[in-house]
Amino acid sequence: MPSAELVLETNDLGYAYRPGQFAIRHLSVGLRKGEVLGLLGRNGAGKTTTVRLLTTLLPPTEGTATVLGHDLRTGGRALRQHLGVVLQSESLDFVSVERNLTLYAFLWGVPREVAKGRAEEMLELFELGHARQRKPWALSGGERRRFQVARELMHDMSILFLDEPTVGLDAIARRRILRYLKDRARSGLSIVFTTHILHEADMLCDRIAVLHLGRAIALDTSEGLKAKYGGAREVLAVFAAPLPAELRAQLAGELVERGATLLAPSEELESAATRVAFRSAEAESLLPWLSQWAHARHLEVDRMSVEAASLESAFLGMIGEADDGSAESSPVPGRVEGALAPGGGGRLT
Amino acid sequence: MKLPPVLRLVVRNFASNLDPLTVVIRFGQPAVTIIVLGTMFSTIISSAVTGGSSYAAFLVPGMVAFQMITGGVVSGNLFWLDRRWSMVEQVFSGPFLRSEYLGGLVLTSLLFSLVGVGIMMVVGLPFTGLPGLTPEGAALVLLTVALGSIFFAGLLITLGTRLRSANAYFSIQSFLQLFVIFLSTVYYPVTSRTPRALALVFYANPLTYAANSIRDAFGGTLGISDLQGLGILALLATAAFLAAAWAFRSMDLGPIQ
Repeated sequence: MPSAELVLETNDLGYAYRPGQFAIRHLSVGLRKGEVLGLLGRNGAGKTTTVRLLTTLLPPTEGTATVLGHDLRTGGRALRQHLGVVLQSESLDFVSVERNLTLYAFLWGVPREVAKGRAEEMLELFELGHARQRKPWALSGGERRRFQVARELMHDMSILFLDEPTVGLDAIARRRILRYLKDRARSGLSIVFTTHILHEADMLCDRIAVLHLGRAIALDTSEGLKAKYGGAREVLAVFAAPLPAELRAQLAGELVERGATLLAPSEELESAATRVAFRSAEAESLLPWLSQWAHARHLEVDRMSVEAASLESAFLGMIGEADDGSAESSPVPGRVEGALAPGGGGRLT
Repeated sequence: MKLPPVLRLVVRNFASNLDPLTVVIRFGQPAVTIIVLGTMFSTIISSAVTGGSSYAAFLVPGMVAFQMITGGVVSGNLFWLDRRWSMVEQVFSGPFLRSEYLGGLVLTSLLFSLVGVGIMMVVGLPFTGLPGLTPEGAALVLLTVALGSIFFAGLLITLGTRLRSANAYFSIQSFLQLFVIFLSTVYYPVTSRTPRALALVFYANPLTYAANSIRDAFGGTLGISDLQGLGILALLATAAFLAAAWAFRSMDLGPIQ
C-alpha cells in the first residue's frame, strides 16, 4: 500500500517544442512512496515526453515540479541520483550482457562486490543467464528489453521510470517482471510506468493517469476508471429451452425500451435459440428485471452473466469523450494550445 | 571508494567502446606509415628537402602530431556511437552532468593521444635515435598534442551533436581527417617552392603548427614561433571545446540513424 508521502509532484507542468506547440500541458500529478503510477494514452499522447520531463532529459517550459524534494529545473544530479530510467529506445555498451550490467553499476558507483552479486540476481530474474557472454545486439527483441530493465535495476533508486518496458516480451516474462516490480513497490520503490497493454496497467498500477493530446484527462485507480468510464457492457442470458419466437420478440422490444442494444445470435450455434445477448450501460440493474420477466412467463434461466468492465472499454470511453470535447472546442484538432479537451488539465493528485 | 564521475565515465569509455581491433588499427596505421612510408621515401627524398634529416626522421614528429587527430577521432566516434545507441540519454538521465560527460570524452581523447605519442616515439626510435628533447621540449610536445586533441575532439563532438545520420557523420569525419593531414606539414615541409595559396592553407591548419613545433622540439631548436603555434592551438582548442559545450546544451536527444 503506498504511503501518503509524496515523492513527486507536478503543478501545471508543460513542455512546448515550439512556442504554442505543446507536447504536454497542465500536468498536475502526485506520486506517493511505494506507489505505481501508470501513464496510458494513444501513440503521441505525451507519455514519453512526460517521462523525459520528469527525468530532466527535457526542460519544462511551464509549470513546476518537485522530485524527492528537489526542484525539477534545478535539481540536476542531486535529483537524478535517486532515479532509475528505462527509456523507450534501447541503449547498450559494446560489451557482453554481463559486462554491461557490471559496467553500468560501476557508472553508478555501486561497489564491485555488490555489483557482481546483483548482476547474478538480475541475470537469473530476467532469464538472461544463458546469454551472459553474448553481446546485447545478438539477443532477441524480448531478451534485449529484459536486459534494459535488468541493467537499470543494478543500482539503488527511489523512483523508477519505465517507458514501455514490456514491449516484445512473452506472457511469462511479462508476468514475472510485473510481479517483481510489484514486490519492489511494496518495499517502497515508487514507479512510473507507461504501457499500451492495458491489462498490464490494470495488474500493476495503483493509479492510472490517462493522457490524451498532451493533457491528463483522468487520474484514478483502475477500478475507479472502469466505474466512471467503463460504459455499456455485454449481458448474456441462457434459457433452459429455446425461446418461442413471439416471446423472443417481446423480450427484444422491452430490452430496447430500456435502452439496451440487442446483439445478433451466432447462427451457427445450435444453442442460439436459447440465448439472448445484449449490451447496456445499466447491465447490472437489468439482470433482476430479466429474471422477473422470465419467472413471470414460467421460463427457466440456466445462467446469466455480465462481462466484467475492462480497462480497455474505460480507456476507449475516455478517449472517445475527450475527442468529442476537442472537436467541439477547436476546428483543428492537434497538439496546439486551445485544441485540447476542455477541463483536461484539472488538478489530479 | 567511488571515483569522481568524470573518471568513471573515462573508464567506461575505454571499457565499453574500445575493442582491441580498433586500438590496433588506430595505433597500427601511423606506426606502419612510419615504417613503410619512412623507409621507402627515405630512399628517394633528399635530406636537403627535409632539413638535413632522413625522411623517416622527418616523418616521426609528424606522426606524433597526428596522434592529436587519432585521439579526437576516437572521442568523436565514441560520442557518435553513444548517441546512436542511446547511451547519451541514458547517461544524462543518471548521476552525471553534461559537462562531465563532455569532460570524460575529452579526457579519453587526451589519454588516447598521449599513449599514441609514446607508441610513435618508440616505433620511430630506429629512425630518429633518441630525440634531443629538453624538458621544455617534452612539455611542448605533450601540451601541443593535448591541445590539438581537445581541438579535434571538440570539433567532431560538435559535428556529432548536429548530424542525425551515421553516413553523414562518418563521411565528413573521413574527409576532414584526410584534408587536415594532407594540408599540413605532417608528410612534407612548406618550402620556398610551395605554391603560395597552398602554403596559406597549410598555415591555416592547426596540425601544421603542431607538426612544426614537435619537429623543433625533437631537434632541440625551439623558438618563438613554436610558442606562437602553441598559443594558436590553445585558442583553437578553447574555441572548439566551448562550441562542443554549447552544442551539448542545445542538443536534441532524439533518435538518429
